[in-house]
Amino acid sequence: MSVRKSATASVRHLAALASTTARPTTERERERRRIAVLCLPFFALAIVAGFVPLAMLVRISLAEDTIWMAGWSLEAWETLATTPTYRRVAWNTLWFVGLATAVSVALGVAVAHVLEKYDLPAKRVVVAAVSFPIALPGIIVAYLIVVLLGRQGLVTNAVAVATGGAPLDLASATAITGLFLGYVYSLLPRATMVLRGTYAEINTQAEEAAHTLGASRWQTFYHVTLPEIRPGIVAAVILTFRSGLAIFGTVLILQSHRVVTLQIHEETSVGSYSPDVAAAIGLVYVAFIVAFTFVGLRFVDNDAVEI
Amino acid sequence: MSDVTLESLTKTYGDETAVDGIDLTIRDGEILGVVGPSGCGKTTTLRTIAGFETPTQGRVLFDEVDVTHVPPEERNVGLVFQSYALFDTMTVRENVAFGLKMQGVPKAERRERADDLLAMLDIAELADRRPTTLSGGQQQRVGLARALAIEPHVLLLDEPMTGLDAELKRRLRDEIGDLLADLEVTTLYVTHDQEEAMAMCDRIAVLSDGTLEQVGPPAEIYRRPATPFVANFIGSSTLLEGVAENGHVDLGFTELPVDAETDGAVRVAARPAAFELDEGQIAADVTDVTYLGDRTQLAATLPDDTTVTLHADGIDGYRVGDSIPLSIDEQRVHVLEAG
Amino acid sequence: MTGPTESDETDSGPASAAESERADPRPDGGTTESATAEKWSRSGTALSTAVGRPLLVGVVTVVVAFLTVPVIVTFVSSFAGSAAGVVPRGFVTFEHWQQVLGFGTHGVQANAIPGLAFSLAIATGGMLLNVVIGVPVAYALARYDFYARDWVNTLAILPLVPGLILGIAFVQTYPNHGRSALGLLAGYCLLKSPYMVLTVQSSFQSMELVRLEESARSLGASWPRTVLTIIIPHAKRGIVAGCIITWTLAAAEFNFTYMVASGSPDPFAIFLYRNISNATHLQSAAAVSVYFTIVVAAILVLQLLGNRGFSTAQR
Repeated sequence: MSVRKSATASVRHLAALASTTARPTTERERERRRIAVLCLPFFALAIVAGFVPLAMLVRISLAEDTIWMAGWSLEAWETLATTPTYRRVAWNTLWFVGLATAVSVALGVAVAHVLEKYDLPAKRVVVAAVSFPIALPGIIVAYLIVVLLGRQGLVTNAVAVATGGAPLDLASATAITGLFLGYVYSLLPRATMVLRGTYAEINTQAEEAAHTLGASRWQTFYHVTLPEIRPGIVAAVILTFRSGLAIFGTVLILQSHRVVTLQIHEETSVGSYSPDVAAAIGLVYVAFIVAFTFVGLRFVDNDAVEI
Repeated sequence: MSDVTLESLTKTYGDETAVDGIDLTIRDGEILGVVGPSGCGKTTTLRTIAGFETPTQGRVLFDEVDVTHVPPEERNVGLVFQSYALFDTMTVRENVAFGLKMQGVPKAERRERADDLLAMLDIAELADRRPTTLSGGQQQRVGLARALAIEPHVLLLDEPMTGLDAELKRRLRDEIGDLLADLEVTTLYVTHDQEEAMAMCDRIAVLSDGTLEQVGPPAEIYRRPATPFVANFIGSSTLLEGVAENGHVDLGFTELPVDAETDGAVRVAARPAAFELDEGQIAADVTDVTYLGDRTQLAATLPDDTTVTLHADGIDGYRVGDSIPLSIDEQRVHVLEAG
Repeated sequence: MTGPTESDETDSGPASAAESERADPRPDGGTTESATAEKWSRSGTALSTAVGRPLLVGVVTVVVAFLTVPVIVTFVSSFAGSAAGVVPRGFVTFEHWQQVLGFGTHGVQANAIPGLAFSLAIATGGMLLNVVIGVPVAYALARYDFYARDWVNTLAILPLVPGLILGIAFVQTYPNHGRSALGLLAGYCLLKSPYMVLTVQSSFQSMELVRLEESARSLGASWPRTVLTIIIPHAKRGIVAGCIITWTLAAAEFNFTYMVASGSPDPFAIFLYRNISNATHLQSAAAVSVYFTIVVAAILVLQLLGNRGFSTAQR
C-alpha cells in the first residue's frame, strides 16, 4: 500500500517537473528548461550513435542467427567463458597496456617536471615535440616505428653498423618490443599533457619553503612535489590506460601481440567470421573500460581528467 | 523611475534561508544602501529584484505592479557588478547602446544617447575603445553608463566600488552619488562598506541573517541604532547593561540622565566618542594601548568589568595598567531595549 | 632516498663549523656574505642535484628524439629518390607525393584527391555537427549546477565506447546508412565531441559567464538572444580551437573508419592504411607526410589562436 502510494507520489512529482519544465513560471524552472534544451542535442546523438548501437551489440551477442538477428542463444558467451584463448587475450592486453601505461606516465612525469622546473633553451621545441603525436592515428605511429626499427630503420642500421650484424636479424619493428614502443609513442604525449596541467597548478612556495628548510632536491620532490601531483598521476594513469586499451591501428599493422582489439578484428574478418563472439568481447571490453573509468574517477577530481 | 516594494520576501535554498521575510520599499528617486556582513542576504535581495531569483514567498512590486514572476529581461532593471562584466567583443559605445538595441531603438538615436551618457560620465573619448583596454575605474563608468542607458525602473549596484583603490573609490563615490541624485534614479546600493553607504545613500537598510534589522537615514542609523547588531555593525559600540528609572539609567557605577521608553533593564550603546578622558567620576583600568598616529586607541575596563574602546589625543603616555578617570557624554549614548 | 640524505648530513657538518669560525658579528645581526654563500652551496653538492638534473635532461632528450626523429626522417625521405641504402638518396623529387596523390606516371594511378576531399568534407561535417551538440552541452556544464551534472560531464568528456566497437555496432545497427557518409559523420562527431566539449568548456570557465549573461538579460536581451549575441562571441576562440582539433582528429580517424567505410571514394584514413601496409617505403613516407602537413597547419592556426598546441586547456 505504502509502496503504491510513494510510487504514485513520485509519478506525480515527475509529471509536475515535466509540466513546469514545459511551461516555467519561476526563474529556477526556466533554468531547468534551458539545461534540458542545451543537453538535448548531445543526448540525441549519444542515443542514436552510442546507446542504440551498444544495445544492438547486446542483441547480436545473444542471437542464435546473427544474420537475421533471430532466436536467442548464450553460445557466444559460453565460447568466451570456456575458450582459453580469450583468457590469454585478456591477460595479454592487460599486462601489455599496463606496462606501456607505467612507462608512459613515468616518462611523462620526467618531461613535465623538466618543462616546468628547468629553464630549457628549446622549451617550445620540446612542447611541440611532445604534443604533436597526440594528433597521429595508430597506423601512422606503426609506420614511424617501422622507420626507426624496421629492416631499413634508422636504429636497426645504426646498430648493424656498430655491431657488424645484419639489419635483417636486428629489425624489431614487428617484434613485441616494436609494438611496445609504438604504444609508448601514442600514450606518452597524452600522459604528459595531463601531468603538465597538474604541474602548472603546483604551489611553488611550498617547494621553496622545503628548500629553505634544508631539503635536497630529491627530498623536496618526494615529500612536497609528489603528493601535489599525485592526483595528476592518477588521472594520467586512468586516461593513458583507457587510450592504450583502444589502440587498434598500430597493432593491426605491426601484428606482433594479440590484444583485445586485434582479436575483435579477427572475429569480424572474413575467414573466422563470428559477430556474436566479437560483440560479446566488445561488450566485456566496453564494460571494463566504463568500470575502470568510474572506479578510477573515485580517486581523482573529475576535472583533472582531460583527453 | 519608480518605487520598488518587497513584501515579506523569503528565499530558501533547501534547508538554508537566505532571506527571511523582508518588507522594504525603495522610494522613487532615492538611493537605498543595503549593508550587512557577508551571507546576510543582501545579494540575494538584489538578485530577486533583478529577477534572477524567484522568491520562495512574498512579492516584488514595481510601482504597485507585481513583477514576482516576470523574467529579468522584461523588468527593465539596470545592473552594475563589482566585476563590471562588460562585453569584450564590443566597443564601449556598443556596450552602452546594447540595451537600447534590445528595445529596438533606431541606430542613430542609440548612438546619440550612448554618446550623451558617456559624456555625462566623463568618458566620451573612450567610445571606440574595447573594454579590455580600460582601467578598472573607466570600466566601472562604462558599466554604469550601460545600465543607465535603458532608463531603468531601478538601478541595482552590487558592490560596484570593491576592487578599486581607496583614492579612486572616494572620487567615484562622490561623482556617482551626485550623478544619481541629479538623475533621480531609484537605486539599490549593495555594499559591505558602511562608510561608502553612509556617504552615498539617502537611507540605509541593515541586514543580518536574512532579516531586516533597521532602515533609516545614515545619521539615524548611526545615532539611534535599533538593535545591538546595528549598534555594533555601524561603527563600533560598547553595550552597557543598566536599569532605566524615571529618566535615568543606572549603570551601577554611574547614572546617566537619558530617557528610556520603558523602565527596567536596558542596554546602552556607547560610541568610542562617548567616553571622555577628563577628571570624570568613573575609574577605568587601561588594558591595551594602540598608537594610531593622530590619536591613541585605548581599551579600558569599567568598574563592572565591561571593556570599552575609547580614543585619546596624540601620545599621552598611557600604559597598560594605568587607572584613568572617565566620564560618559549622555548626548552620545543611545538606549536600546533590553535584549 | 638514503643517498642524498646522507650526503647532506656529511656536507653540513664542516660547512656549519666553517660558518661559525668565519662569521663576523654585523650591526644588523645578520651574517656576512661569505658565510651565507658557504651555506647555500650545500644543496649544490647533494647527490640529487648533481645527478638528478643531467639524468632528467638526458631522459627528456631521448624522449624528444624518439618522438621527433622518425617524423622528420619520414618527411625528409618522402622527397628522396631512393631508400635502398642506409641513408635515403636522390633529393629532391616530388615523385612519391605525386604518386600517392594519384598523379604518378606508373603503378597505381588511382587519384587520391576525391578520397581526400571526401574525407575532409566529412571531417568538416562532423566538426560543424560538433559545434551544434558540443557548444550547448559545454555551456550547460560550465554555467549551471544541476542534477546528475557530474554524470553528464563524465559522459561528455570521456568517450566510453572505443571507435572500433562503435564501428562494428554501427554497421550492424544501421545496415542501410551505417556505411554512408552520414554514418561516418555521426560517428566522427560522437567520437571527437569530448575534445570540443573540453575546449569550449575551458573557454567558458575562463570568462565571467554568469555575470555576462545576467548583464545582457537585465538589458532586455532574451536568453536565446543572450547566448547567440553575447556568450557565443565571447567563446569564439575556444570554439574555433575546438573545431580545428576535432577536424584534424576526425580527418585521420582510423579505427571507426576501418570498420565502417565501404570504399569509393576511400576516406583519408583508408588511403593512409593502403599506403602504409601496401606500398613502397618512400610512397608510405609521402602519404604520411600529407597528413603531417595537415596537422602542422592545424597546430599553427591553433597557436595563432593562443592555444597550447593540441591541448584542450586555454591559456
